[in-house]
Amino acid sequence: MQKTFAKWASVASVALAALAAGLYFGSDAPRERPKALMELTLPDVDGREQRLDQWKGKVMVVNFWATWCEPCREEMPEFVKAQEAFGSKGLQFVGIAIDQPDKIRQFSQEIKLNYPSLVGGYGALELSKTLGNKIMALPFTLIVDREGGVVYAQMGPLKPGKLDAIVAKLL
Amino acid sequence: MHPESASGRRVGAILAALLCVCPLAVHAAGVDLLPPEQAFRYSARALDDRTLEARFVIADGYYLYRDKFKFAVTPDGAVLGSPDMPAGKIKTDQFFGTVETYRGTVVMKLPLSGAAAGQTVVLAADSQGCADVGVCYPPSRQKVSLPLLATGAGPGALVDATPPKKNWFK
Repeated sequence: MQKTFAKWASVASVALAALAAGLYFGSDAPRERPKALMELTLPDVDGREQRLDQWKGKVMVVNFWATWCEPCREEMPEFVKAQEAFGSKGLQFVGIAIDQPDKIRQFSQEIKLNYPSLVGGYGALELSKTLGNKIMALPFTLIVDREGGVVYAQMGPLKPGKLDAIVAKLL
Repeated sequence: MHPESASGRRVGAILAALLCVCPLAVHAAGVDLLPPEQAFRYSARALDDRTLEARFVIADGYYLYRDKFKFAVTPDGAVLGSPDMPAGKIKTDQFFGTVETYRGTVVMKLPLSGAAAGQTVVLAADSQGCADVGVCYPPSRQKVSLPLLATGAGPGALVDATPPKKNWFK
Protein backbone atom coordinates (compact mmCIF):
# COMPACT_ATOMS: atom_id res chain seq x y z
CA MET A 1 0.00 0.00 0.00
CA GLN A 2 2.74 2.36 1.08
CA LYS A 3 4.81 1.31 -1.93
CA THR A 4 1.92 2.03 -4.27
CA PHE A 5 1.47 5.43 -2.69
CA ALA A 6 5.17 6.18 -3.04
CA LYS A 7 5.05 5.12 -6.67
CA TRP A 8 2.07 7.37 -7.37
CA ALA A 9 3.65 10.23 -5.44
CA SER A 10 6.74 9.95 -7.63
CA VAL A 11 4.62 9.79 -10.76
CA ALA A 12 2.70 12.85 -9.62
CA SER A 13 5.83 14.82 -8.81
CA VAL A 14 7.45 13.94 -12.12
CA ALA A 15 4.22 14.86 -13.89
CA LEU A 16 4.13 18.22 -12.13
CA ALA A 17 7.78 18.84 -12.93
CA ALA A 18 7.08 17.88 -16.54
CA LEU A 19 4.14 20.22 -16.65
CA ALA A 20 6.24 23.06 -15.31
CA ALA A 21 9.09 22.21 -17.66
CA GLY A 22 6.74 21.86 -20.60
CA LEU A 23 5.26 25.27 -19.98
CA TYR A 24 8.60 26.83 -19.35
CA PHE A 25 10.38 25.18 -22.22
CA GLY A 26 7.39 25.40 -24.53
CA SER A 27 9.46 27.60 -26.77
CA ASP A 28 11.99 24.78 -27.33
CA ALA A 29 9.38 22.24 -28.35
CA PRO A 30 8.39 21.59 -31.96
CA ARG A 31 6.48 24.62 -33.24
CA GLU A 32 3.43 25.26 -35.28
CA ARG A 33 4.27 27.11 -38.47
CA PRO A 34 0.84 28.32 -39.53
CA LYS A 35 1.07 29.34 -43.18
CA ALA A 36 -2.19 31.23 -42.88
CA LEU A 37 -0.64 33.65 -40.39
CA MET A 38 2.45 34.48 -42.45
CA GLU A 39 0.42 34.71 -45.63
CA LEU A 40 -2.15 36.98 -44.03
CA THR A 41 -2.53 40.17 -46.06
CA LEU A 42 -4.34 43.13 -44.55
CA PRO A 43 -4.48 46.83 -45.33
CA ASP A 44 -2.64 49.29 -43.13
CA VAL A 45 -4.38 52.48 -41.97
CA ASP A 46 -3.46 54.14 -45.29
CA GLY A 47 -5.08 51.34 -47.28
CA ARG A 48 -1.83 49.73 -48.46
CA GLU A 49 -1.90 45.93 -48.44
CA GLN A 50 0.69 44.42 -46.12
CA ARG A 51 1.62 40.77 -45.98
CA LEU A 52 2.91 39.40 -42.69
CA ASP A 53 5.73 37.36 -44.20
CA GLN A 54 7.49 40.60 -45.19
CA TRP A 55 8.82 40.49 -41.60
CA LYS A 56 9.87 36.85 -41.75
CA GLY A 57 13.38 36.47 -40.39
CA LYS A 58 12.55 38.76 -37.48
CA VAL A 59 11.10 37.75 -34.17
CA MET A 60 7.50 38.89 -34.48
CA VAL A 61 4.95 39.78 -31.87
CA VAL A 62 1.53 39.75 -33.50
CA ASN A 63 -1.00 41.53 -31.33
CA PHE A 64 -4.74 41.40 -32.08
CA TRP A 65 -6.31 44.49 -30.50
CA ALA A 66 -8.97 47.20 -30.79
CA THR A 67 -9.59 50.69 -29.44
CA TRP A 68 -12.83 49.40 -27.86
CA CYS A 69 -10.71 47.00 -25.78
CA GLU A 70 -9.37 48.81 -22.72
CA PRO A 71 -6.96 46.04 -21.63
CA CYS A 72 -5.53 46.14 -25.18
CA ARG A 73 -4.91 49.87 -24.97
CA GLU A 74 -3.39 49.54 -21.52
CA GLU A 75 -0.70 47.07 -22.55
CA MET A 76 0.31 48.72 -25.83
CA PRO A 77 2.64 51.39 -24.36
CA GLU A 78 4.75 48.46 -23.10
CA PHE A 79 4.89 47.11 -26.65
CA VAL A 80 6.09 50.51 -27.85
CA LYS A 81 8.90 50.37 -25.26
CA ALA A 82 9.85 46.81 -26.27
CA GLN A 83 9.87 47.76 -29.97
CA GLU A 84 12.13 50.69 -29.12
CA ALA A 85 14.46 48.56 -27.00
CA PHE A 86 14.72 45.43 -29.16
CA GLY A 87 13.80 46.60 -32.68
CA SER A 88 17.45 46.91 -33.70
CA LYS A 89 18.03 43.33 -32.57
CA GLY A 90 15.34 42.02 -34.87
CA LEU A 91 12.10 42.32 -32.91
CA GLN A 92 9.06 43.40 -34.91
CA PHE A 93 5.67 44.09 -33.42
CA VAL A 94 2.70 43.94 -35.76
CA GLY A 95 -0.72 45.01 -34.57
CA ILE A 96 -3.89 43.63 -36.10
CA ALA A 97 -6.69 45.95 -35.06
CA ILE A 98 -10.27 44.75 -35.22
CA ASP A 99 -11.36 48.31 -35.70
CA GLN A 100 -11.88 51.27 -38.00
CA PRO A 101 -8.85 52.99 -39.59
CA ASP A 102 -9.61 56.45 -38.14
CA LYS A 103 -9.82 55.09 -34.59
CA ILE A 104 -6.64 53.04 -35.08
CA ARG A 105 -4.86 56.15 -36.39
CA GLN A 106 -6.10 58.31 -33.51
CA PHE A 107 -4.97 55.89 -30.82
CA SER A 108 -1.68 55.17 -32.62
CA GLN A 109 -0.85 58.88 -32.58
CA GLU A 110 -1.86 59.17 -28.95
CA ILE A 111 0.60 56.51 -27.77
CA LYS A 112 3.18 57.21 -30.53
CA LEU A 113 2.91 53.70 -31.89
CA ASN A 114 6.25 52.79 -33.45
CA TYR A 115 5.18 49.65 -35.32
CA PRO A 116 2.58 48.95 -37.99
CA SER A 117 -0.99 48.22 -37.08
CA LEU A 118 -3.04 46.59 -39.80
CA VAL A 119 -6.79 46.80 -40.19
CA GLY A 120 -8.40 43.45 -39.51
CA GLY A 121 -12.04 42.47 -39.66
CA TYR A 122 -14.03 39.44 -38.73
CA GLY A 123 -11.77 37.33 -41.00
CA ALA A 124 -8.69 38.26 -38.95
CA LEU A 125 -10.51 37.34 -35.77
CA GLU A 126 -11.55 34.02 -37.34
CA LEU A 127 -7.89 33.40 -38.14
CA SER A 128 -6.93 34.09 -34.53
CA LYS A 129 -9.46 31.41 -33.57
CA THR A 130 -7.54 28.81 -35.56
CA LEU A 131 -4.41 29.91 -33.69
CA GLY A 132 -5.90 29.35 -30.26
CA ASN A 133 -8.17 32.35 -29.64
CA LYS A 134 -11.16 30.09 -29.26
CA ILE A 135 -13.54 32.69 -27.82
CA MET A 136 -12.27 35.34 -30.25
CA ALA A 137 -11.64 37.91 -27.52
CA LEU A 138 -8.95 40.59 -27.31
CA PRO A 139 -6.12 41.14 -26.67
CA PHE A 140 -4.64 38.01 -28.22
CA THR A 141 -0.92 37.95 -28.80
CA LEU A 142 1.36 35.53 -30.64
CA ILE A 143 5.15 35.44 -30.42
CA VAL A 144 6.64 34.10 -33.64
CA ASP A 145 10.26 33.00 -34.10
CA ARG A 146 12.51 33.93 -37.01
CA GLU A 147 11.33 30.89 -38.98
CA GLY A 148 7.66 31.76 -38.63
CA GLY A 149 6.96 29.29 -35.83
CA VAL A 150 4.44 30.31 -33.18
CA VAL A 151 6.31 30.03 -29.90
CA TYR A 152 3.80 31.49 -27.52
CA ALA A 153 0.13 32.47 -27.51
CA GLN A 154 -1.43 34.72 -24.91
CA MET A 155 -5.11 35.41 -24.36
CA GLY A 156 -5.41 38.61 -22.35
CA PRO A 157 -2.63 41.03 -21.40
CA LEU A 158 0.95 39.90 -21.82
CA LYS A 159 3.06 40.86 -18.82
CA PRO A 160 6.18 42.84 -19.79
CA GLY A 161 8.46 40.45 -17.85
CA LYS A 162 7.00 37.48 -19.69
CA LEU A 163 7.36 39.16 -23.05
CA ASP A 164 10.98 40.12 -22.39
CA ALA A 165 11.88 36.62 -21.17
CA ILE A 166 10.47 34.89 -24.24
CA VAL A 167 11.76 37.41 -26.73
CA ALA A 168 15.26 37.44 -25.19
CA LYS A 169 15.59 33.72 -25.93
CA LEU A 170 14.62 34.21 -29.56
CA LEU A 171 16.66 37.28 -30.49
CA MET B 1 13.32 4.21 -11.19
CA HIS B 2 13.97 1.61 -13.89
CA PRO B 3 12.83 2.85 -17.27
CA GLU B 4 11.07 -0.43 -18.03
CA SER B 5 8.99 -0.41 -14.84
CA ALA B 6 5.25 0.16 -15.05
CA SER B 7 5.50 3.53 -13.32
CA GLY B 8 8.38 4.47 -15.60
CA ARG B 9 6.23 3.81 -18.63
CA ARG B 10 3.41 5.72 -17.03
CA VAL B 11 5.70 8.67 -16.40
CA GLY B 12 6.86 8.46 -19.98
CA ALA B 13 3.29 8.51 -21.22
CA ILE B 14 2.44 11.48 -19.00
CA LEU B 15 5.56 13.33 -20.13
CA ALA B 16 4.77 12.63 -23.76
CA ALA B 17 1.19 13.75 -23.34
CA LEU B 18 2.21 16.94 -21.59
CA LEU B 19 4.95 17.81 -24.02
CA CYS B 20 2.67 17.24 -26.98
CA VAL B 21 0.10 19.62 -25.55
CA CYS B 22 2.49 22.35 -24.47
CA PRO B 23 3.64 23.92 -27.73
CA LEU B 24 0.03 24.72 -28.65
CA ALA B 25 -1.09 25.78 -25.19
CA VAL B 26 -2.64 29.21 -25.07
CA HIS B 27 -1.69 31.03 -21.93
CA ALA B 28 -4.82 32.65 -20.60
CA ALA B 29 -5.27 35.47 -18.14
CA GLY B 30 -6.31 33.27 -15.25
CA VAL B 31 -9.69 31.67 -15.60
CA ASP B 32 -11.59 29.77 -18.25
CA LEU B 33 -13.33 32.48 -20.18
CA LEU B 34 -16.92 32.15 -21.24
CA PRO B 35 -18.00 32.53 -24.85
CA PRO B 36 -19.81 35.88 -25.21
CA GLU B 37 -23.31 34.41 -25.47
CA GLN B 38 -22.79 32.74 -22.08
CA ALA B 39 -21.07 35.71 -20.48
CA PHE B 40 -23.89 37.99 -21.67
CA ARG B 41 -27.17 36.06 -21.78
CA TYR B 42 -29.81 37.84 -23.77
CA SER B 43 -33.53 37.24 -23.52
CA ALA B 44 -36.56 39.36 -24.26
CA ARG B 45 -40.34 39.44 -24.04
CA ALA B 46 -43.22 41.44 -25.37
CA LEU B 47 -44.95 43.26 -22.53
CA ASP B 48 -47.74 44.11 -24.97
CA ASP B 49 -48.01 45.07 -28.64
CA ARG B 50 -46.38 48.43 -27.94
CA THR B 51 -43.60 47.57 -25.53
CA LEU B 52 -40.72 45.10 -25.70
CA GLU B 53 -38.41 44.26 -22.82
CA ALA B 54 -34.78 43.23 -23.38
CA ARG B 55 -32.88 41.54 -20.60
CA PHE B 56 -29.17 40.79 -20.23
CA VAL B 57 -27.90 38.51 -17.49
CA ILE B 58 -24.21 39.24 -17.16
CA ALA B 59 -22.00 36.58 -15.55
CA ASP B 60 -19.93 37.49 -12.47
CA GLY B 61 -16.63 39.03 -13.48
CA TYR B 62 -17.97 40.40 -16.77
CA TYR B 63 -19.50 43.73 -17.78
CA LEU B 64 -21.24 45.38 -20.74
CA TYR B 65 -20.87 48.94 -22.03
CA ARG B 66 -24.09 50.95 -21.83
CA ASP B 67 -23.38 53.04 -24.93
CA LYS B 68 -22.64 49.99 -27.10
CA PHE B 69 -26.21 48.67 -27.02
CA LYS B 70 -28.12 48.90 -30.26
CA PHE B 71 -31.51 47.42 -30.96
CA ALA B 72 -33.25 46.71 -34.22
CA VAL B 73 -36.61 45.17 -34.97
CA THR B 74 -37.99 43.33 -37.99
CA PRO B 75 -40.17 42.98 -40.02
CA ASP B 76 -40.16 46.24 -41.96
CA GLY B 77 -42.84 48.55 -40.71
CA ALA B 78 -42.16 47.81 -37.06
CA VAL B 79 -40.30 50.72 -35.45
CA LEU B 80 -38.48 50.96 -32.14
CA GLY B 81 -38.44 54.08 -30.01
CA SER B 82 -35.56 55.07 -27.74
CA PRO B 83 -34.80 52.35 -25.22
CA ASP B 84 -35.34 53.12 -21.56
CA MET B 85 -31.99 52.09 -20.12
CA PRO B 86 -30.99 52.21 -16.46
CA ALA B 87 -27.96 54.24 -15.44
CA GLY B 88 -24.76 52.26 -15.38
CA LYS B 89 -21.70 52.47 -13.19
CA ILE B 90 -19.56 55.39 -14.30
CA LYS B 91 -15.99 54.64 -15.20
CA THR B 92 -13.30 56.91 -16.58
CA ASP B 93 -11.72 55.59 -19.73
CA GLN B 94 -8.49 57.26 -20.90
CA PHE B 95 -9.47 57.10 -24.57
CA PHE B 96 -13.24 57.41 -24.52
CA GLY B 97 -13.68 59.61 -21.43
CA THR B 98 -16.60 58.79 -19.18
CA VAL B 99 -18.23 55.44 -19.90
CA GLU B 100 -21.02 53.57 -18.15
CA THR B 101 -20.97 49.84 -17.53
CA TYR B 102 -23.53 47.28 -16.46
CA ARG B 103 -23.06 44.22 -14.27
CA GLY B 104 -25.55 41.61 -13.06
CA THR B 105 -28.98 41.77 -14.65
CA VAL B 106 -30.01 44.70 -16.86
CA VAL B 107 -33.56 45.20 -18.06
CA MET B 108 -34.43 47.70 -20.78
CA LYS B 109 -37.82 48.71 -22.14
CA LEU B 110 -38.30 49.49 -25.82
CA PRO B 111 -41.35 51.27 -27.21
CA LEU B 112 -42.64 49.59 -30.36
CA SER B 113 -44.90 50.96 -33.06
CA GLY B 114 -46.04 49.74 -36.45
CA ALA B 115 -46.65 46.19 -35.29
CA ALA B 116 -49.90 44.56 -34.24
CA ALA B 117 -50.99 41.91 -31.78
CA GLY B 118 -50.76 38.46 -33.34
CA GLN B 119 -47.61 39.41 -35.25
CA THR B 120 -44.16 38.04 -34.40
CA VAL B 121 -41.26 40.46 -34.34
CA VAL B 122 -37.54 39.75 -34.12
CA LEU B 123 -35.63 41.92 -31.67
CA ALA B 124 -31.91 42.04 -32.45
CA ALA B 125 -29.59 43.36 -29.75
CA ASP B 126 -25.99 44.41 -30.30
CA SER B 127 -23.84 44.52 -27.21
CA GLN B 128 -20.19 44.70 -26.31
CA GLY B 129 -18.39 43.93 -23.10
CA CYS B 130 -15.34 42.62 -21.32
CA ALA B 131 -14.17 40.30 -18.56
CA ASP B 132 -12.41 41.64 -15.47
CA VAL B 133 -9.42 39.38 -16.12
CA GLY B 134 -8.52 41.69 -18.98
CA VAL B 135 -10.13 40.58 -22.21
CA CYS B 136 -12.86 42.18 -24.29
CA TYR B 137 -15.29 40.62 -26.72
CA PRO B 138 -16.07 42.12 -30.10
CA PRO B 139 -19.52 43.58 -30.59
CA SER B 140 -21.99 40.76 -30.95
CA ARG B 141 -25.55 40.55 -32.19
CA GLN B 142 -28.14 38.27 -30.62
CA LYS B 143 -31.75 37.85 -31.71
CA VAL B 144 -35.04 36.68 -30.26
CA SER B 145 -38.43 36.13 -31.91
CA LEU B 146 -41.33 37.55 -29.94
CA PRO B 147 -45.04 36.96 -30.54
CA LEU B 148 -46.96 40.13 -29.76
CA LEU B 149 -49.94 39.95 -27.47
CA ALA B 150 -52.78 42.44 -27.34
CA THR B 151 -52.62 45.25 -24.78
CA GLY B 152 -54.19 43.99 -21.60
CA ALA B 153 -53.37 40.33 -22.31
CA GLY B 154 -50.41 40.50 -19.92
CA PRO B 155 -46.73 40.14 -20.72
CA GLY B 156 -45.57 37.38 -23.05
CA ALA B 157 -43.12 34.71 -21.96
CA LEU B 158 -39.42 35.53 -21.73
CA VAL B 159 -37.63 34.11 -24.80
CA ASP B 160 -33.93 33.24 -24.74
CA ALA B 161 -31.68 34.15 -27.61
CA THR B 162 -30.83 31.12 -29.68
CA PRO B 163 -27.31 30.44 -30.92
CA PRO B 164 -25.47 30.77 -33.21
CA LYS B 165 -24.82 34.43 -32.80
CA LYS B 166 -22.75 36.26 -35.28
CA ASN B 167 -20.13 38.74 -34.31
CA TRP B 168 -20.21 41.80 -36.46
CA PHE B 169 -18.25 44.91 -37.11
CA LYS B 170 -19.19 48.40 -37.99
